[in-house]
Amino acid sequence: MTPTQSLLVVIFAPLLSAVIISFFCRQRHGLAAVISVTAAGAILAFSLLAILPKGTDVVTASSAWLHFGDFEVNKGFFFDDVAKTMLIMVAFVGFLIHVFSLGYMADDPARGRYFGGLSIFMFSMLGIVLADNLIMIFVFWELVGFSSYMLIGHYFNSDEAAAASKKAFIVNRIGDLGFLVGIVYAYWHFGTTNLSGMGGYVASNPDLVKVSIAALLMCGFIGKSAQFPLHVWLPDAMAGPTPVSALIHAATMVAAGVYFLIRIEFLFPQEVLTLITWLGASVAVYAGFCAYGQNDIKKILAYSTLSQLGYMSAAFGLGFPGVALFHLITHAFFKALLFLGAGSVIHGCHHEQNIFKMGGLFKKMPITAITFLIGTLALCGVYGLSGFFSKDAILIAGGLGNAPIFYLLTLGAFMTAGYMGRLFWIAFLGQPNSDCASHAKESPPTMLVPLIVLAVLSVAGGWMGYWPDFLGGLIKDNLDHLHQMDHYDAMHKKVLLFGSAAWIVGLLVSFFFYGAGAKEDRLEKRAAPIYGFLRSRLWFDEAYDFYVEKVQQRFALLLNFIDVFVIKGVLVRGSAGIVGLVGICSRSLHDGNLHSYVYWFLAGLILLWAVASGLL
Amino acid sequence: MGNLEASSLCLLVSILAPILVGLVLLCGSRFSVNSMRALSVFGFGLPLMIGIMLYGLFDPLLAGEYNFELRLPTGLESIGIYLHLGLNGISMPLFLLAGMVGLATGLYAMNSKAERLHLYLALLLFMLGGLMGTFASIDVFFFYFFHEFALIPTFLMIGIWGGAGRRVAAIEMTIYLTLGALLSLLGLIALYVQCGVDSFSLLELRNYLSSQALSETVQNNIFALLLFGFGILVSLFPFHSWAPKGYAVAPTGAAMLHAGVLKKFGLYGLLQIAAPLLPSGAEHWFPWIVWLALGNIILIGLVTMAQKDLKMMLGYSSVMHMGYAFLGIACFSVVGVGGALLMMVAHGLSVALLFMLSTCVYHRSQTFDLSSMGGLATKAPVLAGFFVAATMASIGLPGFGNFWGEFTIFVALAETDMTKWIVAPAAIGIVISAIYGLRAVSNIFFGQAKDSFKERLESGQVTDLQPFEKLPACLLIGGLLLTGIFPRIISDDANRELAVLYPYEQSNLTAIESVILPAEADAPKEVAH
Repeated sequence: MTPTQSLLVVIFAPLLSAVIISFFCRQRHGLAAVISVTAAGAILAFSLLAILPKGTDVVTASSAWLHFGDFEVNKGFFFDDVAKTMLIMVAFVGFLIHVFSLGYMADDPARGRYFGGLSIFMFSMLGIVLADNLIMIFVFWELVGFSSYMLIGHYFNSDEAAAASKKAFIVNRIGDLGFLVGIVYAYWHFGTTNLSGMGGYVASNPDLVKVSIAALLMCGFIGKSAQFPLHVWLPDAMAGPTPVSALIHAATMVAAGVYFLIRIEFLFPQEVLTLITWLGASVAVYAGFCAYGQNDIKKILAYSTLSQLGYMSAAFGLGFPGVALFHLITHAFFKALLFLGAGSVIHGCHHEQNIFKMGGLFKKMPITAITFLIGTLALCGVYGLSGFFSKDAILIAGGLGNAPIFYLLTLGAFMTAGYMGRLFWIAFLGQPNSDCASHAKESPPTMLVPLIVLAVLSVAGGWMGYWPDFLGGLIKDNLDHLHQMDHYDAMHKKVLLFGSAAWIVGLLVSFFFYGAGAKEDRLEKRAAPIYGFLRSRLWFDEAYDFYVEKVQQRFALLLNFIDVFVIKGVLVRGSAGIVGLVGICSRSLHDGNLHSYVYWFLAGLILLWAVASGLL
Repeated sequence: MGNLEASSLCLLVSILAPILVGLVLLCGSRFSVNSMRALSVFGFGLPLMIGIMLYGLFDPLLAGEYNFELRLPTGLESIGIYLHLGLNGISMPLFLLAGMVGLATGLYAMNSKAERLHLYLALLLFMLGGLMGTFASIDVFFFYFFHEFALIPTFLMIGIWGGAGRRVAAIEMTIYLTLGALLSLLGLIALYVQCGVDSFSLLELRNYLSSQALSETVQNNIFALLLFGFGILVSLFPFHSWAPKGYAVAPTGAAMLHAGVLKKFGLYGLLQIAAPLLPSGAEHWFPWIVWLALGNIILIGLVTMAQKDLKMMLGYSSVMHMGYAFLGIACFSVVGVGGALLMMVAHGLSVALLFMLSTCVYHRSQTFDLSSMGGLATKAPVLAGFFVAATMASIGLPGFGNFWGEFTIFVALAETDMTKWIVAPAAIGIVISAIYGLRAVSNIFFGQAKDSFKERLESGQVTDLQPFEKLPACLLIGGLLLTGIFPRIISDDANRELAVLYPYEQSNLTAIESVILPAEADAPKEVAH
């Protein structure tokens, strides 16, 4: 089997699964689950098959999709080392989350729809990973948006989920608006949107890079990866089932924005890179603050995802796309682990999500608790775990490139340790704070096995030395480049010091402040204004709601009024003379007798014919 | 050749069969329901079957000429009118569209509970016959004649089976559409007179004008007549007032066929007749089309967001999407017109589907008021699935044909520096349509049911989609997916044809070739593919 054939299987297996499920398995939930998980298994198997042929050659294949005049769209693969790395991550994490879903969704009455949605998602996500041109990326980009819409709205009976799914789609569309315009401009600017084609042009003539195109394409990333100012949809998206949050809203789809940037890295001029750096660093800190104001375990993790995405985009903006990809991969492992751990907790606690209603879960759910702890430590960047390596590299890149960014990111690391510590101490230590927590039971093996596998990867995923040769080429290049920069050694020590201090202090302070298994938020009691401020999340949602309700909708109503009364009423009725005249004439014909209508019609027809043919 | 003649006759059959079946139904009110259905399945289905067959036989290499030509005498030869039928790369997809929407409409209508069903079906069949004829006509006179032939049953159906307020709406619609038709007729006659070749045949007109273009003033004036005449028929802003209200009161079948297919007549006239024959007229009116089309997209888009009634919302959204088609035609390039064509086909399918599904919703909710529904997906998940799919199609989700239409039009707009700026305001439409589309879906199907609707939902009267509703819905969704996944089924043939009709060079690509180092300049296409 050639790699191209394997890739075809990889991308069409989930599509086939989705089609079969939506046509035949809406009521056969068990079968739907089996088909979907099988498809995910096939993706993993054939992905391995596709990357195994050694060598660095890039697999490309394409065929025409649409052709009008000078406009041509192709569909094709561009399978280089970046795509290989991403593909393996998506296939692997995707498969584990499918398996986890078997347990988590076992009692759900709409499992068929759920698994069908997962398959559509896998199809769309793999499309983004493999696509060889911007238009194809956009096609699948929209499709992941749709699957996200569908899966966030899984519990469609709740108003919250209905609103969240709508919000996610629309906010993403706003980003895609810029993305779309960017693609269209890029097409005529380069004469193609093929990734390697554009890369070749830029390599031969760097002047072709344009700020406007790069900035427009960046909008797509801002929407999908939930960066400022379009970050508001991600926390709300937690209304979906937890495995969905793990797969789509932590490990893969939101990271697709960063992946997209890495794919078109050559199109970015310095101005836009700087903008992305600042956006990323500010989200990293902002989301950290927001996480303190949340009590819902999933929302805390959602803000943590936001903040980690900020790290990735900062790394990209600093000129190290490989380092961004590195963090993307390690983040996928530990964040999927954390979300699935949260899923296990929620499952054990009968859908309780408030951490202050948990407590003492370490004893009740030991495996979940230990794996969750591993994930937490990896996220905080504890020495030797996967998060340490990637975050360290980002901090070093910041330190060497842009000092304010370095301090912001270090502050972010401190915040991360703080809110993750708060979450862990309150939910897992101390005594159970509610009935749900005291009756919590450890989850079934289908859920625990993915946790354990992901925990292993969260520990070992950052050990680049053990990665196969044909993976992570860009990452290794970028790390080597980083190592060879001036002042690397000094900065490395500094980062080691600052980074370790951040997680040690963060975890300890949160432990002392909240204590083990707190029943209520002490911050809320002691310093209500600060807590209120954190909870406000800087009023982004309120401002947007105000705009939508009070400005946009009112403007729409005003236009509607104008349309009805001015255009229709005055302009049209202004010619009332004609209208009245025709009205009177037609009223005499409108005698309500159908036969007469038909006769009139026929008479007119004959008359017309007669006049035209010269009989009259 | 024998094969060709048989297929040309098929073209005639596809027009006459529905009309004949309609006549039979008209005479026979004593038919049993079953025989009536069997008859009308035949009448509604035959055009699509013929369309698919002809699509298989279609020879794209005849670009510039017509496939399946048939020329019958009419007794009007003295003034150059023949029943001259045939299909080219542009009319072929629309011919198929008419067949497809026609069959879906028929399948849905024959199971509806309309009073005097035989009459209702007969009028729909007349409409369908007229539609097939419009797109199959090479003769401009018949092109227009068949349109009128299809339009009159629309008025009758609104007048007889329409909902509340039908009288006012029907009169308004009649006045508008008659006015539009009249203007375009004037334009067509002026074209005929100015050419002076004593022929209504599009081919002959085209041949004549390609050797001897009309003077600029004449072109401008005739194009104005055609633009505003056709524009009114397609609800070009600000001549759109008839559309939302008209569709809101129209019976489902009439709305499906009119919004889905008949409305495309005006656009078809612009891109097949007006723009290729009157190039400098098109150029002259270009800024007008752009501004008015942006009015369609942005202003009407916002008005759509303010609607509280499902059917009004669909009517306005259909007006809004027409703006894209106008923009595509305004580009006056192969890419732009190709995009407009894709948009017309896909929009026809999706709007027909949405009108049908909105009636399905009404049968379950007894209201079109968006604010008093909710939670319908619990009881009718399949209906919800179809409605979501149709909404996604109409807001341009890739995978459905509408996406390629919109996208190609955006690409076409960016092709020249002069039109580049239009892309951004036009693309705002993708956000606006997402807002009203998803808001409607969420209000109808998701969340908690409103109090008044809750009782109904819990009373057990609400059922999911029935087989007779599923079948036409599947047909239309199938068409949307087909055009979305394999857009080449339309674009390949159309591309060849458009290259003949729009032989104008306007690519910006030369710009990049001059920027790239000379050695690279020859290679771009190879690198790209």
